[in-house]
Amino acid sequence: MTEHEQGTMAAAAPIRLESLTKRYPGQAEPAVDNLTMDIPAGEIVVLVGPSGCGKTTSLKMINRIIEPTSGRIFIDGEDVTDVNADQLRRRIGYVIQQIGLFPHMTIAENIGMVPGLLGWSRSRISQRVDELLDLVGMEPSAYRKRYPKELSGGQRQRVGVARAMSADPPVLLMDEPFGAIDPITRERLQNEFLRLQNDLRKTIVFVTHDIDEAIKLGDRIAILTKGSKIAQYDTPEAILTTPADDFVADFIGSGASLKRLSLSRVRDVELNQWAVGRLDDDRAHLRRTLADGDHASLLLLDENQRPVRWVTGHDLARSGESLDRVGLPAAATVEPHATLHDALNEMVTSRVGCAIVVDDQRRYQGIVDMRTVMRAIDEMREGVQARDRDTAGRPTEAV
Amino acid sequence: MTFLDYISGVPAYLEREWPDLLELTVEHLLVVFVTILLATVIALGLGLATYRNRSGARTVLTVTGAFLTVPSFALFGLFIPIFGLGAVPTVVALVLYALLPIARNTITGLRSVDPAVVESAQGMGLSRRQRLLRVELPLAWPVIMAGIRVSTLMIVGIAAIAAIVNGPGLGGPIFQGLSAIGTQRGFNLAFSGTLFVAVLALLLDGVLGVVSRMTTSKGL
Repeated sequence: MTEHEQGTMAAAAPIRLESLTKRYPGQAEPAVDNLTMDIPAGEIVVLVGPSGCGKTTSLKMINRIIEPTSGRIFIDGEDVTDVNADQLRRRIGYVIQQIGLFPHMTIAENIGMVPGLLGWSRSRISQRVDELLDLVGMEPSAYRKRYPKELSGGQRQRVGVARAMSADPPVLLMDEPFGAIDPITRERLQNEFLRLQNDLRKTIVFVTHDIDEAIKLGDRIAILTKGSKIAQYDTPEAILTTPADDFVADFIGSGASLKRLSLSRVRDVELNQWAVGRLDDDRAHLRRTLADGDHASLLLLDENQRPVRWVTGHDLARSGESLDRVGLPAAATVEPHATLHDALNEMVTSRVGCAIVVDDQRRYQGIVDMRTVMRAIDEMREGVQARDRDTAGRPTEAV
Repeated sequence: MTFLDYISGVPAYLEREWPDLLELTVEHLLVVFVTILLATVIALGLGLATYRNRSGARTVLTVTGAFLTVPSFALFGLFIPIFGLGAVPTVVALVLYALLPIARNTITGLRSVDPAVVESAQGMGLSRRQRLLRVELPLAWPVIMAGIRVSTLMIVGIAAIAAIVNGPGLGGPIFQGLSAIGTQRGFNLAFSGTLFVAVLALLLDGVLGVVSRMTTSKGL
């Protein structure tokens, strides 16, 4: 850790944009109009908005690829609006949609570029390259000497992220980094990215036009309208639960309630219990359990507590058949890390109308049904409203 | 005498005269080498100075293109009052001819570098100079090299005409031969001069091809 701090800033740094404005000559409207925004250290802040809203321009003013017409930029409290731009950029990781790997350099040379500019020793650079390739899940000995053209799109993207982090910058700027990648690989890269950020805790400003990506990745989301005006800047939960205005509501789209379900995981909600019995219990006992409960069917578990069948009283009466052949198979299971969205999907598929929650050994834990989902949504709404009541009256710090 | 009769006299001539012809070939090669070296420095400089500037680049291409349209005979002659006779007017005129292909390929090559690559270099904190030397030039290099090859081939041919201003090289025997055309000696001179020019051109092209491959990144 301390080894990489030389010539860079702290592990993560807050960013403050103050009245940032960009006017292009010959255009009546500024591309970015008086944007003021605080980006907390160690969080992913996603700038999202329709094309032409100025989100990319805003991002590129942070590392001054685009020089602001007026306004100030502070990183870690330091005013960087007028410092040497090249020096500044070596402390800020930058990933663009096209990635822009240097095709004439090997993967190791690409990743080692910024450390080289910062004057690191050869051995330290090569050690750092290997460390980063490991970090993004690429075997160093296999990829160090390859050229970008020999990699797949997903691998190039990984190298792009590794390159951006080479000098361990406290700040990472990402401009639609997953935009040009097929949906399956994108999903995987997004998950890897979240896992990385979980360990690294960089301050990340992320631009996308995809609200679903914003909800998935953002600790906070800034929804921008024309001129980079902030329509709403809040957590994904708050934006989905209480959109600030019609523009935000429109932008989120009609599926807001469903999207909200992607933010909660099964392990975070209180599970309901269902009447259960065991395959090897005697039928009279099972019938009693069923009669005592208020469900029309009984969930049968095997000797390892794994769900096997759904059976009704009628099924139990069919004495000729063995219990693991009657009723319905206990499909539609979810694990605790699944989202409520996944659970709902299973629920709709299941003929019983609920999803069985099992642990990683597939042992029965409880069930999720429509009531669980409705309760989770209510709690989320109440949580955001309670928070808003708390903060009401206090001056909002541009958030 | 038929063409075949003339040809049949050539081998004996070559056997006798090859040391002189070889010396002239080396002179020729030297003229080409100096010309291409100077032209590359100038054209690369012009290209670098103007590739990001539309009107600048157009001016460079128009002017260097105009040099190519002047008939070589005339250009060599025009320089006599300024530079006199010999190697100097030869090289000056040849450099003017060699500029266009190199300048044009420099500009094209630098302009065809993927803007995303340049932007990511900028975003990583490479200075203007570092971007040019470490990213843009290496990426444009194969295209620039192609321009140098074209110029070299062209200059090997045109250099022969420099004999009219007493320039060095294989133009000497060709012009002597042409003034005595119709005789076996005239044919020998013109034919062997031309033959050596052609062989030199092929050799140089081969060498430059190898150089180009060796100096271009395997990643391209």
